[in-house]
Amino acid sequence: MPGFDCLALLRSLAQNEVEFIVVGGVGEVLQGVPSITRGLDVVCRRDSANIQRTISAMHSLDARSRVGPLAGPNPSQLHPGPYRLTTEFGPLEIRDTIGRALGYEDLTSQTDEMQVGEFRVRVLRLEKLIALKEELGRDKDLAMLPTLRATLAEKRRLELK
Amino acid sequence: MAGFDEGVEGLVDYDESGVDLTLIRFALSMTPEERLRCMQDCVNSIEAIRAQNAGL
Repeated sequence: MPGFDCLALLRSLAQNEVEFIVVGGVGEVLQGVPSITRGLDVVCRRDSANIQRTISAMHSLDARSRVGPLAGPNPSQLHPGPYRLTTEFGPLEIRDTIGRALGYEDLTSQTDEMQVGEFRVRVLRLEKLIALKEELGRDKDLAMLPTLRATLAEKRRLELK
Repeated sequence: MAGFDEGVEGLVDYDESGVDLTLIRFALSMTPEERLRCMQDCVNSIEAIRAQNAGL
């Protein structure tokens, strides 16, 4: 199993000018949740130019699907995800939507733009990460909710100071 | 990177769900990049320990 280098994965997406939103465990960590994860989950804008940039990033990362073929008959067309990938820098999941079919455009207003090293990334806000976990309601999501809610409460307390 | 702020006057260390608030304050004291690097160091350490004990 390859190691996990989250910064290298983010750098590769940024260098390929992929428009994406960080969600999942890495999104939580960037928002200040004290947890760990071993994979990067992103929601990508689904237009033809961004699909091409995403494909370029996947090639540069030597991405391989963990569950099935990457593309349809025409390799330039990326069919709707999610793509659960193994890359040279570790697991990467590329999604079109999360929750109740929320895509990039639906989510951008609920993101924070963060400086991470030499690039900027859009990260889903903690409020939305919590709402999605409440909506999904799976055991693994429910288990994290107290920590996410406590982090949000602490952030708000610090903002009031 | 800032250190732990355990025992800050007037603040509780755990909430009613048992969540360790000192860890949250520590995470929030860092920049996003520092949070990511801290998490990455933790993952790398766990993987190194796993590799050392692969036969167990």
